[in-house]
Amino acid sequence: MVRDFLSLAGSSILHRKIRSWLTVIGVFIGITAVVALISVGLGLERTINDEVANVFGVDTFMLTARGVFGGRRANQGFSLYALDLEWLRAQEGVATAAAVRQRTAFVQGPPGPDGRANQGFLPVTGLSPELVTSFASFIGSLELEPGGRLFDADEILVAVLGRDVATRLGVGVGQDIVVAGDGDRPELTLAVVGILAASDAGSSRQGFTSGMAASGDTIYVPYDTMELLWGPADDVLITLVRTVPGRDVDEVAAQVEAALRARGSEVSAVTYSDISSAIGTVTTTVSAFLAGIAGISLLVGGVGVMNTMYTSVLERTREIGIMKAVGAKNRHILSIFLIESGLMGLVGGIVGTLLGLGISSVASAIIGRIFQVRVAVVASPALIVVTLLGAFALGAVAGLWPARRAAKLPVVDALRYE
Amino acid sequence: MPLLDLKGITKVYSLGKTSVHALRGLDLTVEKGEIVALMGPSGSGKSTLMHILGALDTPTEGVAMLDGQPLPRLSEDQLADLRGRKVGFVFQTFNLVPTLSAQRNVELPMIFLGVPKRKRAVRARELLAKVGLADRAHHKPNELSGGERQRVAIARALANDPEIILADEPTGNLDTEMGAAILDLLRRLSKEDGKTVVLVTHDPEAARIADRIVHIRDGRVLEETVHG
Ligand SMILES: Nc1ncnc2c1ncn2[C@@H]1O[C@H](COP(=O)(O)OP(=O)(O)O)[C@@H](O)[C@H]1O
Ligand SMILES: [Mg+2]
Repeated sequence: MVRDFLSLAGSSILHRKIRSWLTVIGVFIGITAVVALISVGLGLERTINDEVANVFGVDTFMLTARGVFGGRRANQGFSLYALDLEWLRAQEGVATAAAVRQRTAFVQGPPGPDGRANQGFLPVTGLSPELVTSFASFIGSLELEPGGRLFDADEILVAVLGRDVATRLGVGVGQDIVVAGDGDRPELTLAVVGILAASDAGSSRQGFTSGMAASGDTIYVPYDTMELLWGPADDVLITLVRTVPGRDVDEVAAQVEAALRARGSEVSAVTYSDISSAIGTVTTTVSAFLAGIAGISLLVGGVGVMNTMYTSVLERTREIGIMKAVGAKNRHILSIFLIESGLMGLVGGIVGTLLGLGISSVASAIIGRIFQVRVAVVASPALIVVTLLGAFALGAVAGLWPARRAAKLPVVDALRYE
Repeated sequence: MPLLDLKGITKVYSLGKTSVHALRGLDLTVEKGEIVALMGPSGSGKSTLMHILGALDTPTEGVAMLDGQPLPRLSEDQLADLRGRKVGFVFQTFNLVPTLSAQRNVELPMIFLGVPKRKRAVRARELLAKVGLADRAHHKPNELSGGERQRVAIARALANDPEIILADEPTGNLDTEMGAAILDLLRRLSKEDGKTVVLVTHDPEAARIADRIVHIRDGRVLEETVHG
């Protein structure tokens, strides 16, 4: 019988083509907006997560000063903390670890033609060799000027310079610089083995180095060199830890964090799932907010359906009387009208979903082009099913009141209606 | 037992402060297979009576029995069911559903009784053939003449093989020739298929097919005349 009611409702919709289409348009504008916004939101979330997973790796966690990541101090730059890297490497579940230390030091370049050397206070960053060997994805693309190289694992008295520093100090590959450490420790003379290529603006730098501002201004030295200059590390910026395969990264991270805090280091461990859920919270909030706004247009579409159905009930009062006269029960009339309004909602839902997905893939392509990333296009089956059911429900609910009115019309009055 | 048995029927329509007494204590019985013509001036209550006969409306007072069942005791759904099974209506203004083809209009009463699609279609074709419209099955009402529309309406009235056909001025909107064809059809339904027919008409010619003529005035039966 539902099939018959469907076809009765269908005939009536098709009989009033223009009005039905206008009603459907009212619905699909809202659905389009909601589907497009949610799809773009999901796509961006997936893209960001993928990027993070690419760089971070799901077996890796990061140690930063407490409160840096996602905390109140997030905007105040990185804070430093103390760390014994060898102790960390020996911890249960830790496969390998690499750290970055940062100081400002008095640095001298080679003597110029006039016998005077350029000098100044400059940032010096110590990098564990493992950063390059084991955490390459964090480093991203470190491009060196021709003729240079990065330092090897067992080297100590070497440095790689940012382009700006090299210029300021007037130093090239093969020349030396002198770095002063703590007052009671000897100065070190370091051979410059490479100079970082000036990053052309606009080129998208990925990974860890993109988070380190002004790399052109920095002198990079091996991690152990920092120890010779300043002693044990109390100036660690960030530490990357890879866990033993098969170990739960969140568990190891929590243990390490607790152990470090017990030793007096105010650190926080950040895992992929922390980052991912932080991103998820943000994107979900933004998506929900936008979808809420789009939802208002759905409401307008629903009122449109209600209006059309109400008009339709008035127009077809006589027809309702006829159907009742030949044996239709109230619930039959109710069903026919509900199916009719639900169908208009559903058609609006189908058109809106298709348009919304279309718009979201265009929008993803545009966003991708602007930010130079591949933005995932998400056509979530759950979203589509929920949207279509929701659109049918929207139509049916909007049609409920007119349909009840239709069902309750007394037969004789309906038949007399002109 | 008469097929239709009305006793002391009154029907009062209240319109705000005033009220209209459409029927004032009317008695009427109709036997199976009879053709009864109701005649009377406009406003005398004939249509109101037809609605009560056909379970479209309930009387304010009095008892209406259809096939031994007292109508006022039935629920709305039971009345709808009764209309679907036992009664076929034919109206002056045809009252076809404009969006549906002739065949779908004839199928309509069967849809609400849940008759399967195939059976329905066969039956609708049969009935359309019976009223001489086999070739008009897919026409919409606005593509049919008045006489043809009324024949579709009669086919629809017969859909669920009802006991009784209630025809309220079925020839009122038709010219004499078409009207005569409709009356002939109703007469054959009674004589050949044994249907009971109650017919409202102003036309003394039309009344000739009737076995009995009931004259109504001011909501009461004025007199009855029996035909030879
Ligand atoms: N639904 C109604 N509401 C109010 N008055 C009605 C209604 N139906 C009929 N009447 C009144 O009842 C009287 C009888 O009407 P009706 O049965 O249609 O007469 P007939 O069919 O004999 O012309 C008329 O005065 C009419 O105006
Ligand atoms: Mg009348």
